[in-house]
Amino acid sequence: MWFLPVLIRNLLKGPSTEAFPFGEAMTPKKMRARIAFDPESCALCRVCARICPAGAIQFEKRPDGLEFNLWHNSCVFCGLCTLYCESEGLHATGDWHLSHPQSEKYDLVEKATVKFQKCSKCGKQKMPAPLPLMAKLYPGLSADEIERLRAMCPQCRKAETAPQDGGTQ
Amino acid sequence: MSTYKIPVGPLHVALEEPMFFKVEVEGETVVGLDITAGHAHRGIEYLVAKRNIHQNIVLTERICSLCSNSHPFSYCMALERIAGIVVPERVEYLRVVADEIKRIASHLFNVAITAHLVGFDSLFMHVMEIREIMQDTKESIFGNRMDLGANCIGGVRYDLDAEGRGYLLAQLDKLKAPLAEVRALYETNGSFLRRTKGVGVLPRAEAIRLGLVGPVARASGVDYDVRRKAPYVVYDKLSFDVQTLPDGDVWSRTMIRLREAIESIRIIEQCMRDMPEGPTTIDKTPEIPAGESIAKSEAPRGELIYYLRTDGSDKPERLKWRVPSYNNWKGLQVMLTGAKVADIALVVGSIDPCISCTER
Repeated sequence: MWFLPVLIRNLLKGPSTEAFPFGEAMTPKKMRARIAFDPESCALCRVCARICPAGAIQFEKRPDGLEFNLWHNSCVFCGLCTLYCESEGLHATGDWHLSHPQSEKYDLVEKATVKFQKCSKCGKQKMPAPLPLMAKLYPGLSADEIERLRAMCPQCRKAETAPQDGGTQ
Repeated sequence: MSTYKIPVGPLHVALEEPMFFKVEVEGETVVGLDITAGHAHRGIEYLVAKRNIHQNIVLTERICSLCSNSHPFSYCMALERIAGIVVPERVEYLRVVADEIKRIASHLFNVAITAHLVGFDSLFMHVMEIREIMQDTKESIFGNRMDLGANCIGGVRYDLDAEGRGYLLAQLDKLKAPLAEVRALYETNGSFLRRTKGVGVLPRAEAIRLGLVGPVARASGVDYDVRRKAPYVVYDKLSFDVQTLPDGDVWSRTMIRLREAIESIRIIEQCMRDMPEGPTTIDKTPEIPAGESIAKSEAPRGELIYYLRTDGSDKPERLKWRVPSYNNWKGLQVMLTGAKVADIALVVGSIDPCISCTER
């Protein structure tokens, strides 16, 4: 079989490569690229730092909370952190434009401080209880009720939600 | 005639992977061969003992790029065997789909490289362009062109809804016609046949003696495929033909890969048809007790064996794998003896060597 017809057909079809950087390159919806962090949805369980195979995620102590650091240059885009983050604080975005000058290599960090909170009932310092996690823990409760429980520490929350008269709730 | 020793490698013998050959030649004919390995050793077997079981799914996936799904797949099977986890049936189908998509892409890559090594670069480009259909599929379904991240302990990390199934089937349909055309080209094109027929011959008896596996063994007439001989996941429920050819030359090995790519399309289509509804992971956190197990799978290059020993902690005590290229490069001794110097790269490329897997 002759290759010439295939060659001519390919020639007439024009280039099949993408015109990037002068044109758009294909970015599928499910693409695992730069990881985004939402401090509002972080429960400070730190499972992401434990699970990250590249050691790209670290937590550092600050006076008022813990600082989340994700080094994009260490990240291998495996998406394990997004898989195991129960409170949905980590998401893979489709943004793969990570090229940068050498001088900025230490700035390519996802950084945010997650603040400790005060329990609305006993006033002790407590870890935050983000909404997505609480909605999973207390399905069927109203939004107001969840907000109220969210502001408490685990001990007060337990006391609050325990069955009052030995019956089941 | 006097003999010479010429160095081939360690860089860019066939692929961009390091392997060093000391080739003894008589005139233009190869009479002896000395293989030196170890240029791509990264100490991954040590590393896996320092990482927890979840991290190791990612680490094993990055041992090699072309068979990147076979490694975490076998690793997860070994872990699940120790923990006695039975995965849902839908997971088994989805794992087959991921593995077969990788097989198509891997085989097409080697077939393209073979065209490049005989100097047929326009065919190389053409096949790579066809392969791009599979690359786009992987990127759209899994989120990455090479490292699918399809497996987790007790399940898979992706799901195919009606839209996903439709997309996958459409992509496979798009692949069929060009693949059939390429197969006809490789089967009948004079330029290609003259460079590959009767080159690097590995007789059946030698393939058995040296314990060769995968497409290399099947091209020498050895009917051995783990998917058929020791079925794992749902391969026993799927209908596919194990491809064999009698000649054992470079051409046969190329044809086996093209035929297997076509078979893989059939397998994925059956999976799409038969896949039951259900969960994509087990619904509890896996607990891995102390124990040891072995898992086997058919990677694109042949039989891949994982041995895992755990001690009840979250880190494996020992993880060892034997990759198909380890067996197959022994076959080079036979294939290259009597070959011409100009065919060395072609013959080396025809066993589809994966140096990063083998030396890790």
